[in-house]
Amino acid sequence: MNNLIAAIVFIALAPVLGGLVYGVERKVRARMQNRMGPSILQPFFDFMKLLDKRPMMVHSTHAFLGIMHFVAIWFALAVLVLGGDMLVVIFLHLLATALLVVAGYSVRSVFSHLGSTRQALSALAYEPVLLAIAIGFFMVTGSFNTSAVMNSAQPLIVKLPLAFVALLMILPIKLKKSPFDVADAHQEVVGGAEIEFSGVFFEALYTARWVEYMFGYSLVALFAGANIWLGIGMATVVFFVVNAVDNSTARLNYKDMLKISLGIALPLALLNLVFLVL
Amino acid sequence: MSSLVLSLIAVPWIVAAVLLFAPKMLGRGLVVLTALALSVISVVIFVQGGSQPFSFSVPHQVHQIMLAADVLMLLYFVGVAFKYRSWLVGILAGLQMGMLAGVINAVGEKASEASPFLVDRLSMFMFLLVNVVSGLIAIYATKYIEEEDVREQRKRNFLAILMWFVGVMNFLVSVDNLEWFFLLFEGTTLASFWLIRFRGDDLSVRNALRALWMNQLGGVAILGAILFALNSNYGTMQISELVKQAGSVGFMLPFALIAVAALIKGAQMPFSSWLLGAMVAPTPVSALLHSSTMVKIAPYTLLRIAPAIAGTKLSYVIILLCAFGFVVAALGSLARTNFKEILAHSTIALLALMCLLAAVGTETAIMAALFLVLFHGVSKCLLFLEAGVLERVFHFKHTTQLQKLGDVGPKTSFFIAFGFISLMLPPFGAFVGKWLGVELLAKNAQIGTPVVSLLAIVAILLGSAMLTFLYFKVIGALISRSGEHEKPVSEKMAPCFFGVPLILALLLVGGMVGLVPLTNNYIAPVAAAVHGTLKEFSVDGFAMMFGSSQLAVWPMMGAMLLFPLVAFLSQFVRFRGVDRVKEYNCTERYEQDFASYYFSFDKLNPWFILVGTLFFVALVLVGRLPL
Amino acid sequence: MGLNKFRAKSPWILHYNAGSCNGCDIEILACLSPKYDVERFGMINTGNPKQSDILLITGPVTERCRERLVDLYSQMPEPKVVVACGSCASTGGVFRDMYGTECGVDNYIPVDVSVPGCACRPEQIMQGVVAALGILAQKNKDIEKPVRLAGKVTEQDGQTNRRELAGTLEATNAKN
Repeated sequence: MNNLIAAIVFIALAPVLGGLVYGVERKVRARMQNRMGPSILQPFFDFMKLLDKRPMMVHSTHAFLGIMHFVAIWFALAVLVLGGDMLVVIFLHLLATALLVVAGYSVRSVFSHLGSTRQALSALAYEPVLLAIAIGFFMVTGSFNTSAVMNSAQPLIVKLPLAFVALLMILPIKLKKSPFDVADAHQEVVGGAEIEFSGVFFEALYTARWVEYMFGYSLVALFAGANIWLGIGMATVVFFVVNAVDNSTARLNYKDMLKISLGIALPLALLNLVFLVL
Repeated sequence: MSSLVLSLIAVPWIVAAVLLFAPKMLGRGLVVLTALALSVISVVIFVQGGSQPFSFSVPHQVHQIMLAADVLMLLYFVGVAFKYRSWLVGILAGLQMGMLAGVINAVGEKASEASPFLVDRLSMFMFLLVNVVSGLIAIYATKYIEEEDVREQRKRNFLAILMWFVGVMNFLVSVDNLEWFFLLFEGTTLASFWLIRFRGDDLSVRNALRALWMNQLGGVAILGAILFALNSNYGTMQISELVKQAGSVGFMLPFALIAVAALIKGAQMPFSSWLLGAMVAPTPVSALLHSSTMVKIAPYTLLRIAPAIAGTKLSYVIILLCAFGFVVAALGSLARTNFKEILAHSTIALLALMCLLAAVGTETAIMAALFLVLFHGVSKCLLFLEAGVLERVFHFKHTTQLQKLGDVGPKTSFFIAFGFISLMLPPFGAFVGKWLGVELLAKNAQIGTPVVSLLAIVAILLGSAMLTFLYFKVIGALISRSGEHEKPVSEKMAPCFFGVPLILALLLVGGMVGLVPLTNNYIAPVAAAVHGTLKEFSVDGFAMMFGSSQLAVWPMMGAMLLFPLVAFLSQFVRFRGVDRVKEYNCTERYEQDFASYYFSFDKLNPWFILVGTLFFVALVLVGRLPL
Repeated sequence: MGLNKFRAKSPWILHYNAGSCNGCDIEILACLSPKYDVERFGMINTGNPKQSDILLITGPVTERCRERLVDLYSQMPEPKVVVACGSCASTGGVFRDMYGTECGVDNYIPVDVSVPGCACRPEQIMQGVVAALGILAQKNKDIEKPVRLAGKVTEQDGQTNRRELAGTLEATNAKN
């Protein structure tokens, strides 16, 4: 019962926590570059400011799909945390991504289309790896439900080290970090699928990104099994690694992203599955 | 019950004969009435039919008639070979005649009194799919063909062949006798040959001939299966008997050959080109071939023999073959821009998945295959009918042209997007099929067949991801609209062009909302009939359990609420008190066109064909091995 | 509304070069560098008018970029402020009265803060932006129109259509 309440509180607070993570991240990245960096609460200042802007949109369908992207990704996170079927979680996450992609496509704007295509390519790059990891979870715990993973006494990383490495490799794609941030490359496609959103409608995408952070780091924490502190520790370490990589690499193009994720990360995850079977 | 089943065969044939001569309006009305009647009959059979299979015998003369029909059809094939100078068709027809003679000879020695008919839950399931979906296509076709630029008599012929095709298909799924099965198998080949050839230009004829000879190969395989079955310990050509004895006899070649025939019908590499070529036909034909008839023979046949081949080396080869076919079809689709071609590739890919699951043959696999057969049929039909609407109403053929659709045809673009999404995302039935497939392959990887299962999983993961990417490309092209008008101007089209897709979309939504009762009451018994038992599946409230994996209801319900909300509301939501602003184009003032990425793997095609051929050879060779 | 005070805490910047010699642009980029680090004020260089609050303009506005300047300005959601960076943007600078350029940004769009200097120093830019933030917090949310090349804003279906807010030269010339 306590677990359930904790899970629900976590889900309810996910955007806030994600915002904090984002705030910390901006601070950490600034410190890595020997800068002061903004306040840790900066994402929330941005949030309040965006509320105060004059609402502006291209057309309602576009704005609405952006909002639904936020709802869908939050829902995917809820299913993940409440112990749902891992495959369903991944496909719900895909649904959320689909809504963003479709939103980007729904306006006649060049960068928006370009960004959406890249977003879809990113999904093509990481979804197979995520599914392979889900199968790894199944092989270790005997169930596809994340609840089984969360109840596993032994941390899953012991059995799935290569899958964990694969997750580390695709995490920058999911979180849109260098070297795999082709989807919203600010200097190239000006934010990609997000470009046509502004004001309160952009708010939805901005907070969706916070939830996405929670989704990504929850996946990392799943590798710790039942030990929640280990999970938080792992997520923290991964957080620093991802940001260090983000700060120290240049953006690769989408072909390299596909090659690395489907050519290295996926085989790694599958190799892990083969080891499990043998 | 048997009279109802017979009526499903006889009514379309009689109507087809009448259609050849009926005046225009009467003919069209007759098609609509027949479609309705057939749908109702199939629903009645499906709902009322018992769980026990039933068979009924026919007078001896019917066998003679069927034999005569065999010979006539083969003679017709020879005629076609002479007319179009296609030596391949001629050789195959000659080969089939020789083998048929061999079969008659062999049957003479071992005359069997068994009934040629066997109608079980699987047949009823197929009746439902064939008649409801084909009925809708036929209704749509009356309008479509009216606008075709051909003589009136040819239009009548077209509708008549369509009806005849439905009758053949109904017949095919209710026979148990392999000899009859051969005739009907080639009957569908013949019907598709006529329909693909319909437009009469060079390309149509060429593609029709290709479809003909490839499917004739399937016929040869079936005749081979009969010969080997009769001349081995089986001594029977009843499919049900063969399946029963499979374990004890242990000679799998007949099954291997039946599987070869099925996979050729299912357009697996290297035989995919016949289905890709079939798109030159009028669009209702494509819809018919891709959704409810023709290609669905592949999963149907494999489901029939699934209990016999499950867990054998044969099934491993089929699984790998289909896994390969799935990935290759998905790869091939990435470079396509023609809308119908994209649909065709996705059909081949999903057929591979259905066949793969049928070959796995556990009860959950069979349920997954059934889900895919049913929901893919409806979704693909919707998409093809919309392809027809694109041609007729908007004169679009390529995805690049679709970019204007959002502005001029919101209804059509909505239906197409809906169709694609129903093929890939939760909470739709096709998703449930894929989900089950991955889960059970993961289980198989743990208990028994790790290598095969893992390879199959990799194929499904990669293939699905690529198909999803492809669908996004199309959806993206058609959903884009300018912000000039907050409310797009709705297109005007014939009620038929709007109504039929609407019914299909409603069927999909109904299948989604009623997934649990539908599965529990209707799909599970079919799987039970195919597999013999049904122990893994159970329903707990609104949650479905498949062995240890559970399709929990609330995530699905959530997705169910989420998806329609998005799909429907996004068309109707209008934010008030908001500024509408121009798209950001770096302040450039000229109109910008959009292109989409595409990735071509066509240069690998010869290799794919080679590997595919090797797989088919391996299939036959493995069938020859002792168990 | 208490939300006003957050405007100053999260100013997002759109930087546009209206024909500058790049001197001021380099100084603006210097502001983002670790030494000056404007991100500590929450500033982000978005590169997207729809998500920006402050329009930083350098250069005297060449004839080629007049329409584009107005277009960018009109795509920014209110409240917004314009900072003209450097002498050229403020008055035309060394390019004043030359062929092919205009005399500063304020001929086309209303400027809130002018930052002097050729090129303006990063400290000056930051001071200018901070001054602009004070103005931003005071502004209301009415649509601000460009001074010249203004198009029309219409109301329809309970929505405000500002797609034509930035006019074109052809339309303006035809009217005159």
